[in-house]
Amino acid sequence: MRKANFIVAGVFIAFAIAIIAISLGYPPSNHGVPGPGMFPIIIASLIIFSAVVLIIATLKMKESQNTKVDLTSKNVVNVYITMAGLVVYFLLLPNVGFITTTTIMLVLYIKWFSKRPWWKCILISILFTLAIFFLFGSVLNVPMRYGFLI
Amino acid sequence: MLLEVLNNVFTIQIFLFIIMGVFTGICIGSLPGLTATMGVALVLPLTFGMEATPGILLLIGVYVGAIYGGSISAILLRTPGTPAAAATALDGYEFSKRGESGRALGISTISSFIGGVVSVMALWLISPQLAKLALRFNAPEFFLLAVFGLSIIASISGNSLAKGVLCGGLGIALSFMGIDSITGYPRFTFGNINLLSGMSFIPVMIGLFAMSQAFSTVENIFTADEVSQKVTKVWPTRSDWKVILKTAPVSGLIGTFIGIVPGAGAEIGAFVSYSQAKRFSKHPELFGTGIPEGIAAPEGGNNGVTGGALIPMLTMGVPGDAVAAILIGALTVQGLQPGPLLFTEHTTLVYSIFLGMFIANVTMLILGLSSLKFFVKILSIPKSILTPMIFVLCVVGSYAINTNFFDVGIMLFFGIIGYFMQKADVSVSPAVLGLILGPMAESNFRRALLMSEGSYSIFFASPIAWVFLILTIFTLGMPYVTSFLKARHKNIA
Repeated sequence: MRKANFIVAGVFIAFAIAIIAISLGYPPSNHGVPGPGMFPIIIASLIIFSAVVLIIATLKMKESQNTKVDLTSKNVVNVYITMAGLVVYFLLLPNVGFITTTTIMLVLYIKWFSKRPWWKCILISILFTLAIFFLFGSVLNVPMRYGFLI
Repeated sequence: MLLEVLNNVFTIQIFLFIIMGVFTGICIGSLPGLTATMGVALVLPLTFGMEATPGILLLIGVYVGAIYGGSISAILLRTPGTPAAAATALDGYEFSKRGESGRALGISTISSFIGGVVSVMALWLISPQLAKLALRFNAPEFFLLAVFGLSIIASISGNSLAKGVLCGGLGIALSFMGIDSITGYPRFTFGNINLLSGMSFIPVMIGLFAMSQAFSTVENIFTADEVSQKVTKVWPTRSDWKVILKTAPVSGLIGTFIGIVPGAGAEIGAFVSYSQAKRFSKHPELFGTGIPEGIAAPEGGNNGVTGGALIPMLTMGVPGDAVAAILIGALTVQGLQPGPLLFTEHTTLVYSIFLGMFIANVTMLILGLSSLKFFVKILSIPKSILTPMIFVLCVVGSYAINTNFFDVGIMLFFGIIGYFMQKADVSVSPAVLGLILGPMAESNFRRALLMSEGSYSIFFASPIAWVFLILTIFTLGMPYVTSFLKARHKNIA
């Protein structure tokens, strides 16, 4: 947990410094009335302050409280693969079309997760995709036709 | 007005939506890994095309059902379906080990109903008065209210105050994106047209609450839960009734007050009710061995939170918990601004919500007592099939709000961020509450200074402002004072 806390604090400090750097370029206060940059600077300072408090608290942390954060086990790697797959799905979705990409995405994930026979995975995926397509497309009037296929 | 409300609520359409909502809620709640917040976030896109009353009542139905539904898997599997049922698992599972799961589920159903009804009554009685008080608030008071809300969120959600503030700060920072509401100056848009109108609030929420949760489920996707229990004899015995009627109303009230506190959700309500019942019990040593009080207290408590959380949300626009934050999103989509004006301008809607929430609790009771066997079957739906479907619902839901793929990207981004935040033990709720309270704090802060021509004394000018200031200092100082006192106590001893 110690390492994770340092990373969290570091990322937030960098984030806050970026906010301050951008906000300094905004129009200044006018007759004591704050401009658009003032509140972001206040909040960013608060973030830096809390991050420093977190670092100090972590340095004082007892070894017994230092639980390990699992980021490399097989189970977690499965999550990374899932995330990557979804990013690919997100990139293909608007260009290829909802029904095609979603069915393929579902078949692959369900097959991987549940190890059921292919025909069952395909059937479940097609039925679910069509149900969502008609629920959103026809009942809720969300435009669901995009991409060069459907 | 009463007739209008009755006309508005007693329609087949509204009843159907409430029943559908509660049913969906119980299913979602009973499945481990699907939380109440996730359920409401996933159903939210369905309400975009609806009118305000059925839309909000559908979501409230899901909320009420899911908080109750969590107890089903807590009792049968010892895995709480929602975090809110974690306290119920302590005693509930002991019942199942003895083969009395039906009895435990019956106690849980009736206690949840009582807790829910107590909270709806409180909502009905307290919120109109609070709204009247809030009508007297001006920019400085609203600013200090938002600051108080943020301070309390940071201090109670999660294990570390510093991480709470960091996460709340992230939420506020996200709210800066887009055109500044006072000067019209574009901020943090990085030349992207999609960001001009600000960060879309709903995709962020679906990402943080639904997608990140689904990622966490993937971690254990290859291990299956098994239910082998048969559920019989749901109706409580006379001695159980005595315990329920003694415990659940008190827990419901405790839950309601915890619900009112911004940031404290159903899980805290359940645990506080449980420990309170234990403290005042004649036989505290029996808690954890499977006694009826151990189910009645947390279940009355967590459903008590449901009504309580809506009180600050409807009257002041400050969400009582993460679900209330999503409901604010739902109201905003409908063009309604939660706050005191809602009570004067949309009175029928407000009272329809109260009445509808009562009906939702009755529906929960009826469905719970009649269809428990069905809900137990739901538990055997494998998460290996459900999780990919949740991916699709997250994607379509965030696309549907503006029919914009940029929002889907936002959702996915925050889903990934949310997963790593959970890993680092940072609670994600403060971010969402910050996203709502941030603009409220900022615009009122600047409006107040416009009113006073730059003088900060306006923040100390009214008694209400002082109350909020003192409350904020109290909230932020409390953890340090208690730890200091504890340390001193140890030294003396």
